[in-house]
Amino acid sequence: MSGSSVNVHNRLAPGGATVGAFARSSEPPRRLVHSSVNAHNRLAPGGATVGAFARSSEPPRRLVRSFLFLSICLVILCGGFTPARAADISPSPKLRIFIVKVDGLNADLLFQAMDQLDRESGKSTLPWISHIFRDNGVVFRNFYTRGVSLSAPSWSMLDTGHHTVIRGNVEYDRYTGYVYDYLNFFPFYIGNARQHREDMPGVQVLDRAGIPLLIDAYAYPEVFQSFQLFQRGIHWSTLERILGTHLLSKSLSSILENGGAPSASELLAEQTEKDLIATMQMPEVLYLDYYNGDIDHEGHATNQPEALVDKLKRLDAFVGRIWAATQATRATSPSILVMISDHGMNNVPKVFSQGFSLPDLLSSPQGGGHHVVTNRYQLSDYKLKGLNPLVQRVITPSTASPYLAGESSRYPTAWLDLDGNERASLHLRNSDVNKIHILLLQLSGTQLNPIARRAATKGVLAIIERHRAEWSSECDELSAEVGALEQAIRQRQNDIGQQPNKWTKEQIVRGERVKARQLANQLQDWQHERSAYRSYLDHVRALLNLKIDPERPFTRKVSDFVAELSLGDSNTLRQLEHYVVGLSGDGVVIDEHGALDEERSFRYVNYFALLSSQRVRNNPQPALPPQPIDFVVLPLPSNSVRDARQAYWVSADEDNQLLVLVNDRCDLTVRPIRRLRQDANGLVSFESQPWRAGLPLHLFEDEKLQVPPGSNRAEWLSAWHSEQEWLRATHECFYSNAVIGIPEQFSPVGDNVPGVPGEPPLLLRYERHRRELVRPDIQIFASDHWNFNARNFNPGGNHGAFFRISTHSVWMMAGQGIPVKTITEPNDSLNFASTILKLVGKNVPLPDRVVDLQ
Amino acid sequence: MSKYALQDGSGIANNSQSSLMIRALRVEILVVAALMPLQGIAAAAMAENNQTAYYWKATEASESAQLLTLFCKSCSVNRSDVPLVAVLRDRLAANDRDGVTNDRLTDVWLLSYSPLTLYGRLLGAVPFFYWRVGQGSSSVPRNSLKPFMDLTAPEHPVVSGVGRDLLQTMMLDTTFMPIRASSRAYRSNEVDRERRHLEVVISYLRAAPTGEEANEITNAQRDFLLARLELRKRLLGGLVADRDARRVGEEAGFEQERVRSRNWESLRECAEKTGLSFEPINVAGIQGQYALLWFSPTGSKPQGNDLGPMWKVLNLRNPWTDNRLRNWKGPYKVLDDGSGAHGETLIPLGVYSLNYPLTPLLLVDFRDNLHLRKYEMAQRTINEIVSGVIGLSHFTNWYFYAGAFAYDFVVARHGTATNQGERLDSYSSFRTALALDHSLDPKLRSEMERRMDSIAVNPLDGSPAREVELAQSRFQVLEEEAKNGKLAQHVDEQRRAELAGYGRGHGSEVFQVLLHAGSFGLYTKRAKPDADNLEALRRNRQMEANLELLDRLTESGGRPELVFDSLRIQNSVKELASSLSYATERGIRAHAERTLKRLQVATQDASVQQECGSALNLISPKEMNIAASVRAAAPLHSIPTVK
Repeated sequence: MSGSSVNVHNRLAPGGATVGAFARSSEPPRRLVHSSVNAHNRLAPGGATVGAFARSSEPPRRLVRSFLFLSICLVILCGGFTPARAADISPSPKLRIFIVKVDGLNADLLFQAMDQLDRESGKSTLPWISHIFRDNGVVFRNFYTRGVSLSAPSWSMLDTGHHTVIRGNVEYDRYTGYVYDYLNFFPFYIGNARQHREDMPGVQVLDRAGIPLLIDAYAYPEVFQSFQLFQRGIHWSTLERILGTHLLSKSLSSILENGGAPSASELLAEQTEKDLIATMQMPEVLYLDYYNGDIDHEGHATNQPEALVDKLKRLDAFVGRIWAATQATRATSPSILVMISDHGMNNVPKVFSQGFSLPDLLSSPQGGGHHVVTNRYQLSDYKLKGLNPLVQRVITPSTASPYLAGESSRYPTAWLDLDGNERASLHLRNSDVNKIHILLLQLSGTQLNPIARRAATKGVLAIIERHRAEWSSECDELSAEVGALEQAIRQRQNDIGQQPNKWTKEQIVRGERVKARQLANQLQDWQHERSAYRSYLDHVRALLNLKIDPERPFTRKVSDFVAELSLGDSNTLRQLEHYVVGLSGDGVVIDEHGALDEERSFRYVNYFALLSSQRVRNNPQPALPPQPIDFVVLPLPSNSVRDARQAYWVSADEDNQLLVLVNDRCDLTVRPIRRLRQDANGLVSFESQPWRAGLPLHLFEDEKLQVPPGSNRAEWLSAWHSEQEWLRATHECFYSNAVIGIPEQFSPVGDNVPGVPGEPPLLLRYERHRRELVRPDIQIFASDHWNFNARNFNPGGNHGAFFRISTHSVWMMAGQGIPVKTITEPNDSLNFASTILKLVGKNVPLPDRVVDLQ
Repeated sequence: MSKYALQDGSGIANNSQSSLMIRALRVEILVVAALMPLQGIAAAAMAENNQTAYYWKATEASESAQLLTLFCKSCSVNRSDVPLVAVLRDRLAANDRDGVTNDRLTDVWLLSYSPLTLYGRLLGAVPFFYWRVGQGSSSVPRNSLKPFMDLTAPEHPVVSGVGRDLLQTMMLDTTFMPIRASSRAYRSNEVDRERRHLEVVISYLRAAPTGEEANEITNAQRDFLLARLELRKRLLGGLVADRDARRVGEEAGFEQERVRSRNWESLRECAEKTGLSFEPINVAGIQGQYALLWFSPTGSKPQGNDLGPMWKVLNLRNPWTDNRLRNWKGPYKVLDDGSGAHGETLIPLGVYSLNYPLTPLLLVDFRDNLHLRKYEMAQRTINEIVSGVIGLSHFTNWYFYAGAFAYDFVVARHGTATNQGERLDSYSSFRTALALDHSLDPKLRSEMERRMDSIAVNPLDGSPAREVELAQSRFQVLEEEAKNGKLAQHVDEQRRAELAGYGRGHGSEVFQVLLHAGSFGLYTKRAKPDADNLEALRRNRQMEANLELLDRLTESGGRPELVFDSLRIQNSVKELASSLSYATERGIRAHAERTLKRLQVATQDASVQQECGSALNLISPKEMNIAASVRAAAPLHSIPTVK
């Protein structure tokens, strides 16, 4: 197994000598290749040709050209399956694992439906799930999403067993504007068809961070992976079978069964199920999974309990058929059937979830008049462009931009990740970059009088001078990292140069062409990154070397100094409280010393006050609070609070704030505070206050808080406790595991990047640096039943926040060696992969996270 | 709390234009409010709760059939109850086994359905005539009321509809332009009229209560009814089998709720973005399907965003730049925040239906009476010119229709409601709901009614108010039919037709349908009247129900006893075996044999296996004699059922 592990990482080792070996996915032994092809031939009714293509993830070009459009429509709705890349085969016991992955299934909804009796059948409404898991397996009654209840971060933890390095469904690189769009399948499918992309973006990020997926513990022919967020490759033969044999007959039968055309997602789900059941006949396949997104979609769309139960019934029937198949093959392939969900859903009957538009707020005059970037078109715009499935960056211009009117395509200054509904990440351009930009624009014009021009010139240079040390150091570090990247690129180019120009059929079947394509994909990414970071560095260096003639208008292009589609450094807390959005009404103001009066020259926005003061005009539901924003969270600079290694600020408003603290032993505590500030020197100050009702997270007044008997609530909450103690005490509270989730979500992300073994230190630093660059300035959490979704209306319900209803997830197992048991001890996402890998006798990423089922 | 006033001479000034005018207006509103303490929306909503009562009333039509009538409580002008829809339920095989009944719904009557007048028919055939003339027919048939829909033969309208389309395409379209244009105009109006009535029934049924009581329809039955009505809108919808229909109805309900929720939030967000006020309204006890948008002249105009696309979606002119609102003479309300200070003045801009797919649909534009009418007329004119006057065909001129489709797609993406049928559905529901409503402020309601009337462009349509007025008379006719045995006779005919069709092959079935259509509905094959008919029909129905259940269990995969109570499965097998002993149709016996064999293999329950074995022995051809003896020994009614 250790060999397997080394290989896993070797694939990504950039430039090193081991790269040539390429891979975890690298050539499986010849015996396994044959096995793989044969295995697939059995699956494909079409014959040997189909089989030869199938598991190789090689799209047959002719087929792709012919059916690309239809395929994409089908695939986006449900999914095909793909084999994972191979690790070395381990002599593990032949225990098979089948994971049913259900997106957005709230555990309470499921348990309630399981307990409900159907009048007609006299059995549970979900008879199969009840029979398999409740009556014959393990049910984790208290399983929670760790961190925010979002799909990409949550599945990344479930699929790896590692702390997350992905913190949102979409992330932006502050320096280069690169968009990590983890939920968009279209670019992946089209890229795969055009041989440009082998893995989903999330998998690429994990690979480069050196974090293996659960399926990577298995060899290539041992795995059957269905369509999902963390997907390796695409299995085109599933689509081929649908198009080739079922489409016409299904269309006709659908017209007679329901008077309409068949649903593409249903067709694909049906075919995937057939493929799964056929694959289960092969004893060499030890890992299978199936991803279901229907319940998440339904939960967003409607709050009708009947509609949700209807989806659950379909899932139940599917689980029943899979269970029957596992039972039929149990003599040759003893199996464990697992059902898991990534998060819950804040879906309450008769209450619509209402949207609050952060883009509108940010583009309004009081929000700063920003041009706003999102990763999708806002549906309310009803644009034709909204149909473009390849879009990753959408800029909504502001008509109230104070100094960037008409510059929206070059200088959007607020970037939003709204893909998360109950939570949004806000990246703002560095406030001092705004100042420089504004002053350079002023200096470019002729309206300034000589005194003001001199003051403005000095002002620009003073701002640059304040940042000189920091920016110089950043330039040096990033340059060194880009230098290391350059070396890796050369090495990779050499490796690729040695690849054959034409591939034999055997090589293709062995997957060598796919591997070469992966190498080329990564090289392409590196080259893009190199040029993007160099461009950014050029701008910073240009600023550091800026010389301005104070007597004449500035004639050089501002864009040579202020990078387009770039935000610069993260804002400090102080900057966010005092954020420059434009020139003040008085214009450039000079103080008594003839210098630029920065306070009076600029218009500032305090984003914390702005966000906490938001109220909506239209709130027709009495169940909803009038304020759409619950609180914001920011990490504080390290060691800014005594005794704490890390501190996180949770602020509802000026008087209602908390600090979540983590010490060196990783124990946690929560302190109620008020009026937290950061001064110009970076020092953080605040006032302590006693515990009371009304603070963020509402822990003190929550009746479900379970402190040890005889303990004083306030004392207990202010004391240091381990993660598990916090989880036990708070998991039934309204905000369930927020105290643990906040450090998971806001801790320095680079610390969670282990890197690929053998990776040169500079490249590892580069990878960590890149991950840190996606950190937003502010994370905004919505109040109960509010959401920030802008690309679609989600009146049914949402998720993303720390509410129990959004984090309470499903984990159930049954099958070989699984006891009949209900586990009430609370667990979270990190327990899952380690426990599964332990059960099947594989290496465990976090041994202390293995749940003892006995 | 809010107050309404309908102004006659004065107007409301835009704040940005004249604060003096606003002050004057406020004084005026105070005076008006004091003099005319009209009911506000909030008060209306409270009052509405008393008007939500829709209820079913059962009338026995025979020993095993009943007429269920849906009433709206206090909905007529004189606040008496109004009968809306009647459903005939055949309870012949009413076998309340574990809450599952085998009742059959056979006919639906829309009691507000008025027959066409000759005058209306003539006008309906006049191309480019888009006015409703008069209030519609006031006649009520004295003898027999024709059902709006025969649920036992949903395939008949499919055949007749296809036949009419073929007649139009192959014969009428090939003649002179005037004939083509007028026949197309008539057909189009007729289809629209039928669709309007379908939507009216659907909207009534969606508001109807369901339950397990004898005088109510069950949830499953309502789903079935809704499915049949929805499927009637589709060309081949009548061909969907009964066993699939309930599922279709259920899914249509889910979809409608998805659309409603989405539109609710969409409209609320649009209002928020554009600085308007959003207010969901309940009309005639139908909750949350309509909403009003209000405009505050003293409010602040939103900034920072281009609102152009929003106004397109809302289908409204930008009120912030609309001079008409400076001198507003229509209804408005004054918000009272309870502080004693004079509140904000709000002017209604539009009423929206939340049931139209994709976007909220504007039903009433308070500023422009002709806005929607012009749009509807333009759409129809284009259709009539294209298909009636020019005579473009979908087959030979496909490129035109491809272009039209592309155009519709683009404008629909920008928020335009391009689906004429769905628009018609929304107009119909709202118009009828308004006719039944007594919860909205009367002046506001009459303003809405007036504007809704202006969109009535179908000369075949009658006035909703007239239709509601006559519903009581029609119900009396139907009730009389139930009492004098006419309905019982009708049920008997349907049963004999069902009996005659039992075990019929597909070819024979198609032939019978064509014969029925060819004879203009006059011919239907029925079994001869016989004393044993009822017993035979009861057996057949039970056999069908049991077969359906067992098929479902075996198709689900895995062991049936895990998903269904074992004792109930055994009973079902027993009943099936017993019924089969009477059945001689080879196809049915083969079907049952297949099902029982599959069940026997799938189950691991020894008792179920044993029952299957016994049943298989009984239906084996060589065991026919044994079957006959069993028939004598175990009459159907003695088979135990699980309660």
